[in-house]
Amino acid sequence: MLGASSRQRLLPYILISPLVVFIGALSFVPTADTTVEAFFRVMPLDPPTQFTGLDNFRALFSNSAILTSWINTAIYVAIGVVLSVVLGTVVALALRHRFRFRGVVLALVILPWALPAVVEAVIWSWIYNPTFGVLNSALHSLHLIGGYHLWLGLDRWLTILLIEIVQVWQITPLSALIILAALQSIPLDLYEAARVDGAGAISSFRRISLPLVRPAIAVATVEAVVLSLNIFDQVYILNGIAPLGSSVMLQTYVQTFEDLNFGGGYALSLLITLATALLSMAALALLYRRTEAA
Amino acid sequence: MTATGASEATARVVTRAAAGPAGRMLSGRPARIVGRIVTIAVILLWSLFPIYWAFDTSLSTLSGADSAPAHYFPSPLVGDSYRAMLGIGGAGNGISGQLGHSLLNSTIESGAAMVVTVVIAVFAAYAFARLQFRFKRTIFVSVLATLLLPAYATLIPLYRIMASLGLVNTYLAVVLVYVSGFLPLAIWILYNYFNSIPRELEEAAFVDGATPLRALLRVVIPVARPGIAAAAIIAFLMGWAQFLFPLILTTDLSTQPVTVIVAALNQQRVVPFTLLMACGVIAAAIPGILALVLNRYIIQGITAGSIK
Repeated sequence: MLGASSRQRLLPYILISPLVVFIGALSFVPTADTTVEAFFRVMPLDPPTQFTGLDNFRALFSNSAILTSWINTAIYVAIGVVLSVVLGTVVALALRHRFRFRGVVLALVILPWALPAVVEAVIWSWIYNPTFGVLNSALHSLHLIGGYHLWLGLDRWLTILLIEIVQVWQITPLSALIILAALQSIPLDLYEAARVDGAGAISSFRRISLPLVRPAIAVATVEAVVLSLNIFDQVYILNGIAPLGSSVMLQTYVQTFEDLNFGGGYALSLLITLATALLSMAALALLYRRTEAA
Repeated sequence: MTATGASEATARVVTRAAAGPAGRMLSGRPARIVGRIVTIAVILLWSLFPIYWAFDTSLSTLSGADSAPAHYFPSPLVGDSYRAMLGIGGAGNGISGQLGHSLLNSTIESGAAMVVTVVIAVFAAYAFARLQFRFKRTIFVSVLATLLLPAYATLIPLYRIMASLGLVNTYLAVVLVYVSGFLPLAIWILYNYFNSIPRELEEAAFVDGATPLRALLRVVIPVARPGIAAAAIIAFLMGWAQFLFPLILTTDLSTQPVTVIVAALNQQRVVPFTLLMACGVIAAAIPGILALVLNRYIIQGITAGSIK
């Protein structure tokens, strides 16, 4: 029988043990496994598994579909980060002051974030539909296009842009909320003081809002980097496995679960995990400068 | 959180003061107000049009939805797609059964993952927020670091672990994977919430002779209900939206969630778009309604500690 005091000393360990077991067994062990197996030949249908050094990586770099998917993913990330952070800032600025129905507007604005990406992609595929889609119809009735277009699958940049817009639609509420929270924590007397000193709207945005929401923009940027590097659902629905708009995540899926080359999948996973870590840290270092209200 | 609350209250007072004759915030130049209304209208249009479009299509006949130029209102307004899904009329062709079963699977998987995640996270987050123990910081930082770990890092090993345990195509495999993925965010939300609760509440319980565990159960958890609700609803929504993991971990209708079924119906290319949109509307209905009703908790959960 343990004494009361040693029971108290054990309590924290008991409280965190389920967490440690879960994260250890289902996050850390798998990550370590990926890191090791990337250097092995792993073919579930064609054993044995053996150490092959950098062979998996060499094969990846001579596979044109995979090389294309790397460049595609870079485009996805660039478009996704810029659009979601800029649009998120615009939404946050529009919603920062109280007005009637602001709560309702906020609830409606976060709706795209709450719905499954697969369903959203199916809806957008209908919007982009070349013959019956509303995008063609709307642009045509506004006389912006002469005839109906095939939007997806012809031009690489256009395909990627339109697929990434579907993801931006989903993740913009996230950056908007993060930036909005930061904007609302800025004391209003700072703006009052700036106005007394003769600052206009633009200059108070640049001198007060921007520096003080910089950490929030950094967080929103990192979220967008991780989400767009991982883009899968939207690509799977809107592009299928065609190389034109394929993402690295999609190639990982194809390599592993359709070609059953697990070693190649591991190597690809390891590379993109490292890329994610480097990019997120770079974004944080670049943007996350602690700025105190003077 | 208390500090934020205080500054918010100040902000409200200041806004109200500024709205007086000299104020610019609300009674500003008309051009500015019109500009703001237009901006908000555009934001709402952008956020809601695709959802409206899915409704519109799902309520049209195939020939109405297939017409060019597009109809911006259902034309004619019919409930055929929904009738077909309920198994009334011929066009459903077994879709009603698939959809119904997959909705049940989604509910069980997201619901179970939510409960397990929140229970584990409440206890662990309390330990991180209030108790002292060895390696606390290291463990805390390592757990949160997995927030930045992309699905790539664990996808294949998790599949192989589940395959070697014979758990592929079971609810258990799906729930275990979800919980491991959702725990870091739940911990972060709850850790921040617990830190916003004044310690005096528990100290009063300690004076009465309560142990930390009793203080957590009797004092902290009741006060932390909004934070717990935030973690729970976000975990449920994340579970409902999962696609890639169930795509590899589930193989038939006994466990496949609704996202996998909607993707499969979409891929078959034989399901009419009106019916497909109706399936989409049904698949999105539960998270959509939850998000609208519980948006307060979602907003709080997303912003909890995102700025520190």
